[in-house]
Amino acid sequence: MKEFQYLLPHTVAEAVALKEKYDKAAVFMAGATDVVVRMRDYLLTPEYVIDLKAIPELGGITFSKEKGLHIGALATMNEICADENVKQYYPTLAKAAGSVGSKQVRNRATCIGNIVNASPLADTATPLYCYDAIVEIAGPNGTRELPITEFILFVRKVALERGEMVTGIRVPFKEAQGEFCKISRRDQVDLSTVCGTVLKIDGTYRVAMGSVAPQPRRLPKTEALLNGAPLTPERIEEAAQLATTEVSPIDDVRADKQYRLDMVAYIVRNALGKLA
Amino acid sequence: MEYRVRFYVNNEPIELSVPANRTLLSVLREDLALTGTKEGCGAGECGACTIIMDGKAVNACLILAPELDGKHIETVEGLANGSELSPLQESFIEHMALQCGFCTPGMLMSAESLLRENPHPTRAEIVDAMSGNLCRCTGYKKIVEAIEAVAEKGVYEK
Ligand SMILES: Cc1cc2nc3c(=O)[nH]c(=O)nc-3n(C[C@H](O)[C@H](O)[C@H](O)COP(=O)(O)OP(=O)(O)OC[C@H]3O[C@@H](n4cnc5c(N)ncnc54)[C@H](O)[C@@H]3O)c2cc1C
Ligand code: FES
Ligand code: FES
Repeated sequence: MKEFQYLLPHTVAEAVALKEKYDKAAVFMAGATDVVVRMRDYLLTPEYVIDLKAIPELGGITFSKEKGLHIGALATMNEICADENVKQYYPTLAKAAGSVGSKQVRNRATCIGNIVNASPLADTATPLYCYDAIVEIAGPNGTRELPITEFILFVRKVALERGEMVTGIRVPFKEAQGEFCKISRRDQVDLSTVCGTVLKIDGTYRVAMGSVAPQPRRLPKTEALLNGAPLTPERIEEAAQLATTEVSPIDDVRADKQYRLDMVAYIVRNALGKLA
Repeated sequence: MEYRVRFYVNNEPIELSVPANRTLLSVLREDLALTGTKEGCGAGECGACTIIMDGKAVNACLILAPELDGKHIETVEGLANGSELSPLQESFIEHMALQCGFCTPGMLMSAESLLRENPHPTRAEIVDAMSGNLCRCTGYKKIVEAIEAVAEKGVYEK
C-alpha cells in the first residue's frame, strides 16, 4: 500500500470540505472492503483517505410506511439483513445484503459503499433499482437527490461532483412481492456471475439485472410486456426471452456470455413462475 | 506521517504510533508479536486473519492501523485462560478439526463470535457463519462437528 494521510472528520460538512479541497487526491472510505483491497493492489493510490466512520449522523436504518426505508451511509450489510423492517418489507434487499461476501466482510461493508463502488455486479443494486431508490447526496453547495438509476453511470463511475458524498439511500415503501436471485460459482463468499431482482408492486412488474452490462440495469421492454396482460406461462417465456435482448453481458473469468444470457432468462422465468 | 492510537488487545491497553498504510493484521503480527492471527490472502477472502473487534468478527487484513484508536480487539491468544484452553479450543482438538493448523486461529475466532451471538446454532447457521474461513486440509466436516459439540455442552449460554 502506498503511503497516504488518514483523515477522520466528525461531521458531513467537514468531510465534504476535505473532499472538495483534495478532490481526486482523496477517497472516501466506509467499510473499507473495496478501498483497502484496491489500495493493496495499487489500483488506488490516494494521497488522502477520508474515513467516514466517525460521523454519527451517517449511521442507522430507519423505517416508516409513510417515509419508507432510510439506509444511512454507515449501515453495514449485516445490520441491513438483520433489520426486522428490512426483512419484513424489503426481503429482496435483505437477501441481497446477506449474500455479500462473508460474515466478516458484511460486518464492515456498507450498502452505500456497494453502490458508490459501482461494480456491475454490486449485489444490493438490483433490489434498489426495482424499488426506485433515491440516493441522497451532500456537497459544497448543499444537498440533492438522484434516482439510483441515474446515479450509477458506468463501471466505477457515479454522478458525484467535486466534493460530494452520499449520506444515505431512501427506499420508498411499496407492498411488493418477488425475488432476488444471485447466481455464483460457489454458494457462499463469491461474486455474482449474474444477479437479478423481479418485483411485483401495485400490480406492475419491475425487473433489474446485474453483472450483464456495464452497470446494473432495469429492463423496460420486459416490464412493459409483463404489464400489458395477465401472467400466463406463454407470457413468462416471452418475457424470459425478451429480457435477454435487453442486456449485454461479456465473457469473463466467471462465465461466458451465453451462460449469462441463459441465467437472465432463468431468473426471470423462475421469479415470475412463483408470482403467477 | 504517524498516527497515535490507543486500543485494547485481549483487554491489555496498547499505545502505538502507526503509519496509515499498515493494517491491523500487520500491527498484531509485527508490532505486538501476536502471530496467532494469520495472513492467507491479505484481501478479505480466506478468513485466516479473523479477529473480533468491538464484539464483531472482522478480517484484520482489511482494517487500517489508524482505525484502531479506541477499539477492543480480541485475538486467538485471548481465548485460553493462562495455559487452560477454552472449551472451543478443546473441542477442535478432540474432534481433530485441524491438520496443518494455519486456518485454525481464524476458524476459532469466527466460531467464538458465532457462539456468543447464537449459543445454539443449527448446522446451516454454523456453515453460514464459517463460510468466510477457508481450510485447505480438513474438508470442514470436523470443524462443524467441533462447533456443534461445544454448543451442545451449553458453555455459551448466557
Ligand atoms: C472478500 C470480499 C467479498 C466480497 N463479496 C462481494 C459480494 O458478494 N457482492 C458484492 O456486491 N460485493 C462484494 N464485495 C465488495 C464489497 O464488499 C462491497 O462493494 C461493499 O459493499 C463496499 O462497501 P464498503 O463500505 O466496504 O466500501 P468502501 O471500500 O469503504 O468504499 C467503496 C467505494 O465507495 C466510496 N464510498 C463509500 N462510502 C461513501 C459515501 N458515503 N459517499 C461517497 N463515496 C463513498 C469509496 O470512496 C469507494 O470508492 C466483496 C469484497 C471482499 C473483500
Ligand atoms: S488474510 Fe485476511 S482474509 Fe485472508
Ligand atoms: S487445517 Fe490446514 S488450512 Fe485448515
